[in-house]
Amino acid sequence: MSSGVIKKQILLGVMSIVLITMCAISISWGQVQVPIADTITILLKNMGITDTLQGVEQAEEAVIWHIRTPRVFIGVLTGAALGVSGAVMQGIFSNPLADPGIIGVSGGASLGAVLAVALGLSAQSLYYMPLFALGGALLAVGIILLLAMRKGEIPVMVLLLAGVTVSMFMGALTSGILTFMNENSIREFLFWTVGGLDNRRWEHVHLAAGPVIFGVIILCCMARHINVIVLGEEEARSVGVPVAKLRMGLLFLVTLTTATAVCVSGSIGFVGLIVPHIMRLLLGPDHRTLIPASGIAGALFLICCDLIGRMILPGSEIRVGIITSLVGAPYFLYLLHRMQKGALH
Amino acid sequence: MMKESKALDVRNVAVAFDDKPVLKNINFTADKGEFIGIIGPNGAGKSTLLKCLRGLIPKTSGEVLFSGQSIHQLADKQLAGIVAYMQQGVNVSFGFSALEIVLTGRYPYLNWWQSESKDDYAIARKYMEFTGVSELEKVPVQNMSGGQRQRVLLAKVLTQETPIIFLDEPTASLDLLYQEEIFDHCKKICLDGKTVLIVAHDLKLAAKFCTRLILLTHGEVVADGLPQFVVTAENLEKTYGLHSAVFVNKVTGHLDIHTYAAATISTNPTVHIIGGGGTADQLLRHLHEKGYNLSIGVLQQGDTDADVAAAFGVESILSSAFTEFSLEAINSNKEKIAQAEMVILTNLCFGQLNLANLVAAFSAKQLIIIEDLPIEQRDFTQGAATKLYKKLVESSNVTVQTTTDFLEKT
Repeated sequence: MSSGVIKKQILLGVMSIVLITMCAISISWGQVQVPIADTITILLKNMGITDTLQGVEQAEEAVIWHIRTPRVFIGVLTGAALGVSGAVMQGIFSNPLADPGIIGVSGGASLGAVLAVALGLSAQSLYYMPLFALGGALLAVGIILLLAMRKGEIPVMVLLLAGVTVSMFMGALTSGILTFMNENSIREFLFWTVGGLDNRRWEHVHLAAGPVIFGVIILCCMARHINVIVLGEEEARSVGVPVAKLRMGLLFLVTLTTATAVCVSGSIGFVGLIVPHIMRLLLGPDHRTLIPASGIAGALFLICCDLIGRMILPGSEIRVGIITSLVGAPYFLYLLHRMQKGALH
Repeated sequence: MMKESKALDVRNVAVAFDDKPVLKNINFTADKGEFIGIIGPNGAGKSTLLKCLRGLIPKTSGEVLFSGQSIHQLADKQLAGIVAYMQQGVNVSFGFSALEIVLTGRYPYLNWWQSESKDDYAIARKYMEFTGVSELEKVPVQNMSGGQRQRVLLAKVLTQETPIIFLDEPTASLDLLYQEEIFDHCKKICLDGKTVLIVAHDLKLAAKFCTRLILLTHGEVVADGLPQFVVTAENLEKTYGLHSAVFVNKVTGHLDIHTYAAATISTNPTVHIIGGGGTADQLLRHLHEKGYNLSIGVLQQGDTDADVAAAFGVESILSSAFTEFSLEAINSNKEKIAQAEMVILTNLCFGQLNLANLVAAFSAKQLIIIEDLPIEQRDFTQGAATKLYKKLVESSNVTVQTTTDFLEKT
């Protein structure tokens, strides 16, 4: 329509290209260095596009296809899920500090994960922990929504307070279970609470891809409605938005998307909070560009953080959840500082 | 049965918050083209009424019909295509631009997967031009002044293109110029056949622009009708607890309101004023507000003193302008003078036409003469008035004071 829209589309395009490039770098870079050309050959062969593996060692193929590619896929899916969900949450609550964590997703997922470990199920199949985490997240959000619901409406303030309370309650349960566990199980659980992309396999990708892609696409389609909801409940209702229903639906999608992401990657902080923020500063408040941009940027942020975590200490790696928090927390404090000065609303 | 239904039909509507009644038994209908101001003191239920009629808060009983259709039969979007609602003090966050806000008015006309079309943009721009905010298209609403923001929000409400528009105090905290402008826009909209309900704080503006006023207090309709029948001293006292004079301002031609504190004396002595030509207005106001029981005469019709007297509901004895006073007027004046516990003769100029007023002053039991200028300067009767005046001053029951002295002492 206007030059502004074209500018935004160009920016989205550039971000996508950067993301794909970073993914390729992330796949080829690591302790086993594989040249980009070989990496591409391996990827193309395994995707069934070509059928030759000229001059590539078998070990390289295993590293690229079975270790790094699913890792990058999980990174992209998780980052996109967190970025999109964060943008949507901030929109539906008209609150720039909202993120999926405040409605209990992380707290519930942790409880589910610790249960899976405590019951010894996580050792039996790698599906148990993510599924328990997903169940825990959905349960937590469900309880919070039930608590916050008043005559078919959800007052934002009550929801936030219920979210904090239920999260703390679940945190207490999690800690309680932890005290009865042996050291090995505690290590296993702690490993999960600090999200990471290492040891992710194609099974994880298969588990997460469906719900995340579905959620992200629908949420992107709902952008125009979120634009109206942001203006406040009465304002939205007066132009005919079924606010309560829509908010419920969006909350469900956000929960599904983030819970799925969190259950395969562990909890990763700050992506859902700061990525939509930065995108809003760059692109403006229109959710039709903000939501997809937050998705792409979230994926990019996570892939970059993962790459940093693998590069800093040769021989070992820092989990991505630590890097995102180390980068995100200072930036978030900076945002708060600016907000106090009245630069943000 | 097939009689054309009213644009808005409100029947026995009641609203309660936690069993505390906020609106009781509200009944009224509104036609196309009506510009209805909803007025009343704080807490009367004005905003609640608008929200309830728009279906934003549930009513405890009653019915609301739009063009004969019950509000309950209408889906969210259908209703949004009939009534637009501008709430009080919208807080636009996240830096949305004016155009983006105005475009949300097109929401009821789009399917959930659709984006705004070129036509929607054209409609939005048309109304932004109407309210004079075209050049602000890309400016974030949160950076605007109050007047600009309200005009953007008005454009949004118009972009909804509904036959009925509800506005909840759109002029709150605006400069006088912008207040008038918003009302003026509404008036134009109504001339196009739309129905506007506006919650207004400013009674004068509401009376000036609205075709009809509804006065609420304690959740009930106290008065409903033409502004001059709703904004009356009696109604204002009943609802706002205000002592006031309501009158047509001769300069503006509109209803005007003068308010004052409650009377300070309780005995209500009767005072008759002999005045005219604007010499009595200050005294009238002062004594009326103090609670004196006043009358005034003889005045020519159209005299400013007569207007002031009418505004305060003071009985005045009138005679036609530009001729000598009628015998009837002179006699009733004398009667009033004789009955009054105190009579005040203002700093009048005397000519042949009103010399009778000076003569009448002799019948007073107790007379106060206000003298700001010597009688010689006010005598246009070649000495006749001066002669009478001097005789009057010498009487034993007479005191002479200046206006300032009198106002300070009484």
